[in-house]
Amino acid sequence: MKRTYLAAATIILMAAGVSCSKSFLDTQPQAVITQSGLQSQKFVEGALTGAYGLMNGNISGTWGNYSNAPSQWLFGEVGADNAHKGSEYTDQGFMNDIEGHQVTSVNDQLPSMWTNYYEGIMRCNSTLSLLDALQNSSSTEKFASDRATQIQAEARMLRAHYYFYLRRVFGPKIPYIDETMTTPEASKAANDSDIYPKIVADLVFANANLPQDYSKPLGDVGRCDKYAAEAYLGKVYLYGTNEGIDNKYAEALALFKDVISKKGDLTSMKFQDNFDVEKKNGPESIFTVQDVINPDGSGDNANVGDMLSGFYGSAPASCCGFYLASIDLVNAFKVDANGLPLLDGSYRNNPYTSDLSNPTASYKLDTTIAFDPRLDYTVGRRGVHYRDWGVNPGNGWLRDATTGSPFVNYKTMVDQADFGAYTQSGVPYVTAQNVNIIRLSDVYLMAAECAVETNDLSDALTWVNAVRKRAATLPAVLTGSGHPAADYSVKPYPSFPSQDYARNAVRFERRLELALEGQRFFDLVRWGTAKTTLESYHNFEKNYTAAASGSGVSSYSFDDSKDDYMPIPQQEIDRGGGVLKPNGYGH
Amino acid sequence: MKKRLLLSSLFVLFCFFQSIAQKRTITGTVTANDGTPLVGASVIVVGNATGETTSANGTFSISVPANAKSLRVSYIGYVDQDVSITGQSNITVALKSSATNLNEIVVTGYSSQRKKDITGSVAVVNTSELKQQPSTSPIEALQGKATGVQIINDGSPGSTPQIRIRGNTSINNNDPLFVIDGMPYQGKLSWLSSDDIESMQVLKDASAASIYGSRANNGVVIITTKVGRKGPPKINLHVYGGTQVPMRDRFPKYLNPQQFAQYVWTQYSNAGQPIAGSTMASYYGSGATPTLPEYLLAGSTVGQKVTSAQSDPSNYNYSPTNSTTFYQITKANQAGTNWFNEITHNAPMQNYELSILGGGDNSNYAISGGAYNQQGTIKYTSFKRYYIRANTNFTAFNGALKIGENAQYSYSHAIGFATNVNTAGQYAGEGSPVGWAYRIQTIVPVYDINGNFAGTRGSGLGNADNPLAILYRGKDNYNNDNQFFGSAYADLKIVNGLNLKTTFGTQYDNYAGISIGYPDPERSEGVFVNSLSENQGWVTQWTWTNTLTYHQKWNKHDFKVMGGTEAIKSTGRSLSGGGNTFALFGDINYYYLNTATASKSSGSSGYNSALASLFGKVDYSYNDKYILSATIRRDGSSNFGPNYRYGTFPAASAAWRVSNEDFMTSVSWINDLKLRAGYGATGNQNIPSFQFLKTYQQSVNATSYPIGGGALASGIWTNSYDNPNIKWEELKSWNVGLDFTLFSNKIDGSFDWYNKKTSDMLYPVPLLAQARGGGASPFVNIGSMSNKGVELSVNYHYNAGASSKNAFTFDIGANVSRNVNKVLALAPTVTNQLYGTNRNVTSSILAPGQPFGEFYGYNVIGINQSADDIAKSPEYDGARVGGFKYEDINKDGVITPDDRTYIGNPYPDFIYSLYFNASWHRFDVSMFFNASYGNKIFDETRYYTDLNGFYGAVSTRILDAWSPTNTKSMIPSPYYNASTTEVASNSYYVQPGSYFRMKLLQIAYNFQIPESFREKINSIRLYVSGTNLFTITKYSGLDPEVTQFSSTFSAPGVDLGMYPSSRQYLVGLNVTF
Repeated sequence: MKRTYLAAATIILMAAGVSCSKSFLDTQPQAVITQSGLQSQKFVEGALTGAYGLMNGNISGTWGNYSNAPSQWLFGEVGADNAHKGSEYTDQGFMNDIEGHQVTSVNDQLPSMWTNYYEGIMRCNSTLSLLDALQNSSSTEKFASDRATQIQAEARMLRAHYYFYLRRVFGPKIPYIDETMTTPEASKAANDSDIYPKIVADLVFANANLPQDYSKPLGDVGRCDKYAAEAYLGKVYLYGTNEGIDNKYAEALALFKDVISKKGDLTSMKFQDNFDVEKKNGPESIFTVQDVINPDGSGDNANVGDMLSGFYGSAPASCCGFYLASIDLVNAFKVDANGLPLLDGSYRNNPYTSDLSNPTASYKLDTTIAFDPRLDYTVGRRGVHYRDWGVNPGNGWLRDATTGSPFVNYKTMVDQADFGAYTQSGVPYVTAQNVNIIRLSDVYLMAAECAVETNDLSDALTWVNAVRKRAATLPAVLTGSGHPAADYSVKPYPSFPSQDYARNAVRFERRLELALEGQRFFDLVRWGTAKTTLESYHNFEKNYTAAASGSGVSSYSFDDSKDDYMPIPQQEIDRGGGVLKPNGYGH
Repeated sequence: MKKRLLLSSLFVLFCFFQSIAQKRTITGTVTANDGTPLVGASVIVVGNATGETTSANGTFSISVPANAKSLRVSYIGYVDQDVSITGQSNITVALKSSATNLNEIVVTGYSSQRKKDITGSVAVVNTSELKQQPSTSPIEALQGKATGVQIINDGSPGSTPQIRIRGNTSINNNDPLFVIDGMPYQGKLSWLSSDDIESMQVLKDASAASIYGSRANNGVVIITTKVGRKGPPKINLHVYGGTQVPMRDRFPKYLNPQQFAQYVWTQYSNAGQPIAGSTMASYYGSGATPTLPEYLLAGSTVGQKVTSAQSDPSNYNYSPTNSTTFYQITKANQAGTNWFNEITHNAPMQNYELSILGGGDNSNYAISGGAYNQQGTIKYTSFKRYYIRANTNFTAFNGALKIGENAQYSYSHAIGFATNVNTAGQYAGEGSPVGWAYRIQTIVPVYDINGNFAGTRGSGLGNADNPLAILYRGKDNYNNDNQFFGSAYADLKIVNGLNLKTTFGTQYDNYAGISIGYPDPERSEGVFVNSLSENQGWVTQWTWTNTLTYHQKWNKHDFKVMGGTEAIKSTGRSLSGGGNTFALFGDINYYYLNTATASKSSGSSGYNSALASLFGKVDYSYNDKYILSATIRRDGSSNFGPNYRYGTFPAASAAWRVSNEDFMTSVSWINDLKLRAGYGATGNQNIPSFQFLKTYQQSVNATSYPIGGGALASGIWTNSYDNPNIKWEELKSWNVGLDFTLFSNKIDGSFDWYNKKTSDMLYPVPLLAQARGGGASPFVNIGSMSNKGVELSVNYHYNAGASSKNAFTFDIGANVSRNVNKVLALAPTVTNQLYGTNRNVTSSILAPGQPFGEFYGYNVIGINQSADDIAKSPEYDGARVGGFKYEDINKDGVITPDDRTYIGNPYPDFIYSLYFNASWHRFDVSMFFNASYGNKIFDETRYYTDLNGFYGAVSTRILDAWSPTNTKSMIPSPYYNASTTEVASNSYYVQPGSYFRMKLLQIAYNFQIPESFREKINSIRLYVSGTNLFTITKYSGLDPEVTQFSSTFSAPGVDLGMYPSSRQYLVGLNVTF
């Protein structure tokens, strides 16, 4: 009998086990939030903060975020005449193809650029749709309408920025996704039209709706304000007009003038403060990526995009030896007896190559060369003090000069005294150096460009000379024995005799002032001078370094129809099932 | 009470009738072939139900009818033997061990059955063979023992090898489900000792495995641990120890420094680059011929530029946390360092196991414990394991209730690189010590002038870490594992034939590990900080299973029906933390997170999942001739959304024992012949949970932004996109098989043919970046894959004079398995998916029509002989004389990424194994060979050794490289700046991977126990064994057994530097008291 009870009890238990299985299976996801929990001000603001978070170019992690660096050092500088990839030849081999303009659709630098900037766009769209859902809900926790509009303006400004970065690299026709599209709709968006008007529309909206008193929304220095919107809209107009798809020199100029007039005197702002981590967000800052070291000392929110530009060997920050300045760039800083740059290209005569041909102990620095002082605030060279790191020993800080050059980068590094607070612990080449997307001298020089094109040469002269006068205030950088490392000299232009001369001078000034800040290649493309400039550059540069040659070829050539932009990553085309068409660029 | 009275009366009556029949008594001893007494062997009278079992010393006494002519003696794992008793009263029977005992009872999923009644494809593994081969994990010993089961070993201590049953059925996880004493288990098995295993069955086809439903797609391995048998305690001590020797003859051969210097020279001259002024000139000069430097480094001066003042030892300053004062002086090793020799050594291993088995009328027990210690052949790696286990079973109420438990607690301690990893091969890669050994130049010495580690510091020596330094600095890194695994059951006979069984089991795994980082200032990319990272976590799972079984026989009908429920709940949580900048170096006692002074971080994660199931099974057989079996299971899983939570998995199979048909009785050479066929469905739910939800997350790294310029503000992002329609992956398979026993049981074997198709394959189809940014794409049910194959095993048993215990007997057998894997379809939007990217090389592809993980790249059709030759060939950027000439697949005249093609299949045409076991007098010998035929290996180490990746060490293959005077060579000439297209994935990397390996040779002697000791000692067996004694292969890498490389999906056959297998020489002693 006992057995029967036992059996009955067990069968009942089994039945109970089955019947309660429905709730048994209702487990909860761990460490995530589901959509239902998001309808509040806190999460809309959070989504917007997340959208800003992609300004540093990457989601998380440190290694691997090179092409997506906000500085755009790879596409913008290595791809132009200012810099070499550096390191060893086989290290990041696909970057050689970007330097040599032999990019194929399987180049491994393309997907991270593509993916991360679309992530930025997703976050802007997500902010806009969460805001819309909250404002249209019955929630009592809605935003007041002015903050709601500001949020829209901020999100659309950021979206314009992300699309602009993608458009500069991958060309005008890329898929456009906005906040109204569902995931399946976004998956079907083709790359069949120029997104330029959409970028303009977002920036126009931002300019009209960010605080009109030029204050920062919520008082946060990292947010975009009306200065940023004006400068960015002007910049986009300039690109559109250069490309011949718009005609807005005047509108751009008006925007730039507004920024210049309200921002104050450039010459009162120190050039070097832009690259001093302790003086971030100074008066010259207009649109800037904020980088910090995390409270735990890790570097995921720091400037990871530029980390490869750390030096090598016995340098205080000794990895990874990438991003070296070209011989051509360094020589472009030469000035004539009047303190003016050698616009005719004669700076290439008898070029200064540091110790490249004599990397021995017997090398002596020639301190008699007349250089623009910005040189030693742009590159580091042998025999010259580098920040507070000591005198640059040349090869001891280099990985392989013959694959790159003997000239290391200045703007991406920080003072050794700042390693403790502003670099990742134990990894001093991951710094908290902010990255300028637009700074005031960029606005001066863009204004000068517009003025040249509208033939207002005196205004152009004023703005270029403001930049040069400010450069003249830079203190001399010294050698180990305490002498100035060059015969420093930079003087204003007395006049612009012609529009052509002025155009050349403005463009040359732009190269010097913004060297190694990620503008150069995109400038060459919008000016339509990429082919002539780069072919001439490679013919010069190859006499001094193997880096410029490109693999296996003796003569470099640049084909605008293939090389102005990058091909759409092959993996996206393979995944799209025909949604995305190859854009025709690449090899 | 009434019933019991009736039973007793019947019993009394029965005894009465027995006693009045004429009887006599036979006594005897049953031993194994080697003389070991067999305890619990069954002795029955042929033609009569009467039976006895042997007692502790193998003796029996049986009362037999006067007319009885013979006794049948049987014991699990041995061939039944009929012994004539005519005119005898005391007999000794020596049984011969066998893998083919058809009456053996095997466990096949919630129930057990006779091996001869199996209708599906089940490999029953001979456990005595399993135990012969010393191994950390029982899986390792399974290699080659069952058809259709591919095991890929590596040499790392404590490793659980990669196991694939009938190929890859999914593009996700392909590890089988283990069922250990009825409890499901997924994960590594290094905690379980082979010595404790009683039996092991591999359920290969759906008809056998479908009862495990949603987790059975990859096959099921059923492991039953030892149980005690009636008799006095049988104490067994098994000890072995020996040494492991790295296979030094397989180490890669490198250019010596002088040859390397010449290689660099040639690289520059071929590329038209002057050596003068280059970094390499600093080391090898720029005169007429290359010269070697005396020093590699003094402070920040390198190579031949080092002056005698700089190399003065008084400058030396080893300051590992200060890069600016660090001053190292390193001499060049002009003779060349053999790095593989430096990082390997002969390493000891030892194992001790003690077990006590026994039982009485109503209970039995098996208690065991063991200690295992294996040092790795790669220095500073080791694995230790200690465990205790107890299985006990009790019978009560006259056998109506059986209750019991089995439980194991084990502790393992793994030290250093690649030990006891969770997934086979997960440690492999270019940044592992083995990877560094491929990459560090031979001119670098192991130590600098003061005995500190030397390295690549400077420029031009590449960026490898000193592999020995990395191993040495990892010597205190450990991961500990504490695991309890056990269950208790009660089995109640409600009425005759009707049993109710309930089993409750738990697994609790608690693990912890630390990893200490030290500065590696001697490296060109060294760090100057020490650090600690630490993790702890636990996993708990409980399983409650209930079955109701009804078994009835009448006449020739045998009918069994079983129904059951099962509930499984798994939870886990882990905690990790890190910090750096510790005041002390090398003192392990100081390394706690509290003493870190910078970069303190912490994190945690967890999971929660549940499975609830109903299942049923019906078995029917008629006269042992026609056997039918059907199963069904319905699973509910928390992994899926409310709409797709349940899945149903049916299966059916049938067998026809042809040999039992009347018309076969005349065919005397066939002892047993059975045809089997089965069809069924299984599932796969092995994906991350909650794919049906779109989820958002805040995290410091992914979403925070210093919006105020300083402190971080928290943001939020969509970390994972949703697929509300996610459901099971399903596999349907056919299996047709044949089991045979021929020529008086001398030959036996089986043959199987199968066809499996996976559909609704769970696959994280990557959404376009424009639709998800960097968020995770959800898994979708899309795509299909097929595996088709045949398997054959044949054994021959030779047994001369079975009754003589000194007879010569041997068994020889072979297993051959062929599996053809093919991806049938991916998502309609996805053309293909490339993966396995490492540096410039992307090795593997998922593409319809190709096997999973097919190698993909350019097809090398030659070497460009001249500029003219290049001009005439399809061009690519960087094509050069002496470089690869690629096939123009799409015939458009240029080489572009569209010309990449399928360049090699990572799977073998077939795998096979051979064994030979023999015994003679007191000796026995075993040999076992394992082999793979026709597979290709993607030898990615060639990126470094042959194609100049990172200025690594260069293979001696390059001595035969193409040159204007060696134009037949297919090896590209040295070239300073070869293009990305040239070094991209191409057929040069793809190498033949077939091998034939002598896995085991074991020779044993069974001592004769002197009469006076027999009371105390039952048997003593002493053996010597060698594993991996020789390998025949054309593969050029370290080891042809290449575990998959873990990438987006697993990349089979991609070699980035494995922990290579070693030769083992062992001596073992097995004593039974």
